[in-house]
Amino acid sequence: MIYVLYFIVLLICVYTIRHYGFTLNRLFGFQRHPYIDIDTADWPAVTILVAAHNEEKVVANILSALMTVSYPEEKMLVVPVNDRSTDRTREIIDEFVERYPGRIRPFHRTQGKGGKAAALKDAMELVTTEVILIFDADYIPGAGIIKQLVAPFFDPEVGGVMGRVVPLNVGANLLTRLLDLERSGGYQVDQQARMNLRLVPQHGGTVAGVRLSALREIGGWNDNSLTEDTDLTYRLLLHGYKTAYQNRSECYEEVPETWTVRIKQIMRWAKGHNQAMVTYGLHLLAGKHRATLRERIDGTLLLGVYAMAPITLIGWILALLVFYEGIAPLHGVIAILSITAYAALGNLAAFFEIAAAVRLDGMRRRVCLLPFLVLGFGVSIFSVTRAAVTQIRDAITGAEFHWDKTERFRKAS
Amino acid sequence: MGQDGEIPEGIVNPYLAVSALVGVVGTMTLLPLIPALIELRRKSDAAPLNVIQQHAGEIRYFAQSFRSYMQELEPVLRQCAASGTNASGVLPHGDEYVALGRGDGELLQALAERDATHPVVIVAGVDLLAPAATTFSREVFSSGRFLGGEKSNYRAILAEREVHLGASSCVMRWVHAVGPLTAERGCKLYGRASSDAAIRLHADCSFLRLNAPRIEIGEAANPSVLPATSPADLSPQTTHRFFHDGDFEIQPDEVIRGNLVVRGRLRIGSGARVSGSVKSTKDMTLENGVAIAGSLISAQGMRIGRDCAVHGPVIAEHAIFIAAETCCGNAQNPTTVSAPEIEIEEGAQVFGTLWARESGRVVLRT
Repeated sequence: MIYVLYFIVLLICVYTIRHYGFTLNRLFGFQRHPYIDIDTADWPAVTILVAAHNEEKVVANILSALMTVSYPEEKMLVVPVNDRSTDRTREIIDEFVERYPGRIRPFHRTQGKGGKAAALKDAMELVTTEVILIFDADYIPGAGIIKQLVAPFFDPEVGGVMGRVVPLNVGANLLTRLLDLERSGGYQVDQQARMNLRLVPQHGGTVAGVRLSALREIGGWNDNSLTEDTDLTYRLLLHGYKTAYQNRSECYEEVPETWTVRIKQIMRWAKGHNQAMVTYGLHLLAGKHRATLRERIDGTLLLGVYAMAPITLIGWILALLVFYEGIAPLHGVIAILSITAYAALGNLAAFFEIAAAVRLDGMRRRVCLLPFLVLGFGVSIFSVTRAAVTQIRDAITGAEFHWDKTERFRKAS
Repeated sequence: MGQDGEIPEGIVNPYLAVSALVGVVGTMTLLPLIPALIELRRKSDAAPLNVIQQHAGEIRYFAQSFRSYMQELEPVLRQCAASGTNASGVLPHGDEYVALGRGDGELLQALAERDATHPVVIVAGVDLLAPAATTFSREVFSSGRFLGGEKSNYRAILAEREVHLGASSCVMRWVHAVGPLTAERGCKLYGRASSDAAIRLHADCSFLRLNAPRIEIGEAANPSVLPATSPADLSPQTTHRFFHDGDFEIQPDEVIRGNLVVRGRLRIGSGARVSGSVKSTKDMTLENGVAIAGSLISAQGMRIGRDCAVHGPVIAEHAIFIAAETCCGNAQNPTTVSAPEIEIEEGAQVFGTLWARESGRVVLRT
């Protein structure tokens, strides 16, 4: 029991160091934005896939925004992927098709396997361009974002690109404000630090792009994956393609406004991530492929992020058992010093990261909400653990995964 | 305290002690939540992060904003130009201006002399002829040509026709010419320099960000002469990708049909041609006469030899050297050349954007 606890403590320390490393890199390290200066070029043709499943409240916003972006019209085709919608999504899309002839080619899917990856897979029959961009229907792209997301594809080593997601409905309630802080930490620090350090920036599946030839080389969209974005990140990596993160390619999204929706969302992410960990983890770390040593290490740690929640919970339980069993894990003074050091530094790692991100964003007062993040982390740790437990149970019983669409809160325009 | 070390009864009430402990711990726990609760209630910083692009990154953004700002002075400028008189006043944001109907050096000399103590925005409805060794610490606008003398310093210049900067002049923030922009020997162009026609930089000029349909370096750059090898001769680009771990060399005159990714150093031999894009994770060297139909990307430095032609963007994460007679982009398909440090030889040409994040320099041809 004591050795399991040692191992868990070691894992937590590794992730703590990782948090600090990323934050210090963002604050003091060299910042890589290699493709951001490409403002003049012979821009390639691009297909923009807009994934939409019952999105009557939001789909008009993204289509309107895409019609005003600063990309050569003749080189851009918007393909709304209407995935078995039962609301007015189809009608709204068709109105836009009429209003902008030749610029929007809809893909109305009325049957087939559920899930975004399955819908995107079917929509590939309309894609002929080498560069594909993907947006979820609740996103609102800015005018310059298409060029910014296309620019990394001039690098033949880049197979995928990811922009930055920025919550739009920040002020709705405590949850949206906490999610805003979490997103800041995740993108402004985590993703950019991984880009700086040539590690593994993660493809997010929206505000993102993929190279068609790379997608074909890795076998297309994996519709068995619960999170097609994580799956894509690792398959590209194993085939020698990079995912480029563009921190300045920001795009608004709508974050969940209720805890129920948030819990469902994070549980789906956790299950997808864990699925990718089981599928690619060992091969990434020790297999023969094109990922570099630092990508192998960082990629493995990234795969383990959601597994850390149940591991931490087990660690807490073991620590209590060790205490009540009267087992002395270390010499008393060393134990006290270690616990004090961890309490002083370790627990602060994630908070430090988010505080640094907010500072980098130049938004000072929202950092006051930092103590409330304990609440968010508490909910996450139990939701992710629950997701892991149900995932194991489903694997044993053979139960099928039910894909939950994230509910929208915006009023229809 | 008693002599035996015990706490005498009656001095500390145990209930009070526990209450005090709970109170202190509770206060300390809640203390960090007070600013959080105040912020949650007041929502003083609850707006979404401002990411609506105002195109401030667009190279002509400042020039266009300044032009809009100057628009209301148009009647004054027309009147001054017609009558050959001058006028002064205050712009809506409180900036003092002088509108000139004559652009002679004598008048500008007087304005430059008082610039140190009383700088004004200079707007002219005619051509401006700025004297040598003068400083203008506010923006200068000419609705005609702007011809600057040697060793002068400017904050920003906008001209509706050509801009000519005398030798060893310096522009601190931006310069935009609707016509051609020429910087004589030893000019320093900090910030943005753009033209809707062409830019010509002479030897020893330094720059950061340039954009024009055509950027010619030195007298020797002849826009009618393109490199002997042209990427246009190559077959259409393919998506096939060659991948090589370690250093790699493309042999002279070899033709590569596809994209190439090298995890190491790359040397492209003289006269070689690539129909796709090329990436190296370490230094990249192009010998003379190489043609690339796609882009050139290096995670470190890049050295491009003479008489090369590159169709797509040229990006290096450390430094780029571009030798004479080399051409990046073309008139129909302008492109971007970008690196923290750029050295470009007289005789080279770039169509589009030439962007040195830290330092760019024109060097004499070797």
